[in-house]
Amino acid sequence: MDPPIYYSKSEFIETDTGNKVSRRATIAGPQNIILGGKTVISSGAIIRGDLRRTGPGHAVVISLGRYCLVGEGCIMRPPYKTYRGNFNYYPMKIGDHVHIGANSVVEAATIGNHVEIGKNCVIGKFTIIKDCAKIADNTIIPPNTVIPALSLFSGSPGRYVGDLPESTMEVVEMGTKGWYKRFVAVEDR
Amino acid sequence: MPLTLQYHCSCLSSKPTPPPPHLPSSAYNFHPLHTLFFCEECDAVRCNHCVMVEVSGYYCPNCLFEVPSASVRAEKNRCARNCFLCPNCRNTLSVVPSDPPDTGDIRLSAIPVSAVGEPPFFLYCNHCRWDSAEVGITFEKPTGLAAQLQKFEDSAPESLEFERLKEHFEPFLRASSSSSPAHHPTASSHHVHTNPITAAASSAISRDVSGVAKYNPLARSRVGKDKSANKDEMPEYRSRVEIGSTSGLGGGGDVDVEFVKHLEDVSEVANLEQRWVNSWASSPRASDLKPLRIPLLSKKTKRCPTCRHILIKPEQKAQSVRYKIKLVAANYLPAIAVAVPQPSSTEVAKRSTVRSSGGGAEADKGPEGMLAGKTYPFHLSFTNPLYDPIQVRLSVQRAQYQASGEAPAPEKARRPPFAVSLPISAFPIAAFAEAWEYEDDEDMFGVEDDEMGDADVRSRDREGRSKTKTVGVLEKRANVTIVGGEVVIGKEAKGDVKFNMLVSYTYRSDDPGIDETEGTPSRTASKGPVMKTFSFYTVVDLGPIIPKEEPRPDPDL
Repeated sequence: MDPPIYYSKSEFIETDTGNKVSRRATIAGPQNIILGGKTVISSGAIIRGDLRRTGPGHAVVISLGRYCLVGEGCIMRPPYKTYRGNFNYYPMKIGDHVHIGANSVVEAATIGNHVEIGKNCVIGKFTIIKDCAKIADNTIIPPNTVIPALSLFSGSPGRYVGDLPESTMEVVEMGTKGWYKRFVAVEDR
Repeated sequence: MPLTLQYHCSCLSSKPTPPPPHLPSSAYNFHPLHTLFFCEECDAVRCNHCVMVEVSGYYCPNCLFEVPSASVRAEKNRCARNCFLCPNCRNTLSVVPSDPPDTGDIRLSAIPVSAVGEPPFFLYCNHCRWDSAEVGITFEKPTGLAAQLQKFEDSAPESLEFERLKEHFEPFLRASSSSSPAHHPTASSHHVHTNPITAAASSAISRDVSGVAKYNPLARSRVGKDKSANKDEMPEYRSRVEIGSTSGLGGGGDVDVEFVKHLEDVSEVANLEQRWVNSWASSPRASDLKPLRIPLLSKKTKRCPTCRHILIKPEQKAQSVRYKIKLVAANYLPAIAVAVPQPSSTEVAKRSTVRSSGGGAEADKGPEGMLAGKTYPFHLSFTNPLYDPIQVRLSVQRAQYQASGEAPAPEKARRPPFAVSLPISAFPIAAFAEAWEYEDDEDMFGVEDDEMGDADVRSRDREGRSKTKTVGVLEKRANVTIVGGEVVIGKEAKGDVKFNMLVSYTYRSDDPGIDETEGTPSRTASKGPVMKTFSFYTVVDLGPIIPKEEPRPDPDL
């Protein structure tokens, strides 16, 4: 029922697994970024895969699951801290069916599956977001916050404001799949 | 301006029909489909307002520790580990070590002595930069902080007072609980299904708000005298400290006056929100605020209010989002979505979206409103969750709308603000099959045109005027059927285009295998295919009417 969301075909690069990455997004260190498939990176997004853990070998910095959306102008940056005198970045892991609204800044350590993050949010360093949680628009989540499953957070600082319905998982999954289906290319003229 | 369609839950009211939608109170009777439950035994929709809720487990929202219910009460419903809320902004506090001692040697001091850091430790707020050293709370070790704070908490005058009160009332409570069933059989009869937890919750809701115009020593002593004169053999309670005579702050005495007199900054006073959870005689000074242990959250089991069958039973693990039992209405009732097509705007939207090149394009905005005196088509899409095809019949709850909508209005001749046309005859929706769920969007819809012959359901318009294709079945694919309706808005209409719609669907309940999933195992005793009908009300909100702007010629409104 919802109208399709059109984008110009030349703007997005589509991978074999259905990921769509805007050419206008800034992807730093792409070799350290994993996209699960059918994930969309909108234009203007900045993903800092270059901020990797020091040390030899291959390191995954940011991994996103399937059916995710990184909104326009979002900044995804791995969290960092100084532990025992050593400054280091830590990987960021994001589950399936996670939508991040436009202009949000995410420095979380872990985001579960079926999580909705609104527009203009700030998700502080090392935040842990469990499955099916929802962050309302314009919420500031301070560093080290834990957001339990099926809870709604909003405000500044973000606080628990309520529980989400039991069928949140199905609703979000339908929403993200439907969104990906509606996100269709049009040929340029 | 989103268009909404919500489902009615009668919440055990005697009247099955919902209130007219223009009454503000009607909003409480309607809910989004995904928040509703379905009781198979009663064959009825249940909502969060009417289900019985039981706590099935407690956990701390910060450390996610699952607290055994035995220790919840002893720990006063709050986390007894290392989790604290900032008294200033209610963010979670983190434990931080002190700065390492400055040895003067930079290279040496860069290597910390221990993994956890230097004592003393204190609590620090990452959001507002409050820290517990400000109020003189520091810790020797970074673990078991709640236990370290326990002695302060237990020795606080209000908690001592509370303990004393409990002691005082305990014999009375014990006596009354044993005698009360005999005393008030009628009072408890309508609480047949009330379990202790529900009772505790309801008494918590009805309790007095602390510190707000409730404490009256005069009245209290009078009441006490009356009582003792009557039947209650209650000894007079003597408080530990007479509150008016407390020397501390917050008692309303001279100390408070002094404090307020010398205020220099508003932030020196703790605001109401910060003091809300404290006892009523807390200090008004912001610098006296103490870190708060985090209140526990709970997972809930939900039961049908009439038959007590479980509708929702979560898994034991606190952070699991799966359920052992989950009877949600979305698995039984067709999901209905409403949209108002914008004929010419699709192309515009397409072009503008391409230009703004969008991930989060906002093309799915509804119209701003409906102009008075015009006719608008709208679409309703029905999605069948059952593994059987269903027949759906729609009707607008018209009579009641007019009855209660027009009767109170003084001018009787006025027409209803709008008229809704819907397909009159029943239309089918194909069964849900798992195959539809498969990833690929196109090429699954081979059956699409099969039953289009049925589409002669077309629209005898109520006014009999325009015999357009706007009313009737518009599209069928997979388990989705889209029907069109039409709304004619009166010339002088205002308010919202909002109407109640009765949806009845008929499904076949023949073989028990399917019935199991379909949800009426109790009724399958009858042999052969049986057509069953279930009806429910919905409210459709098509947005506000934009009134005509030119002044009307006739002055009498």
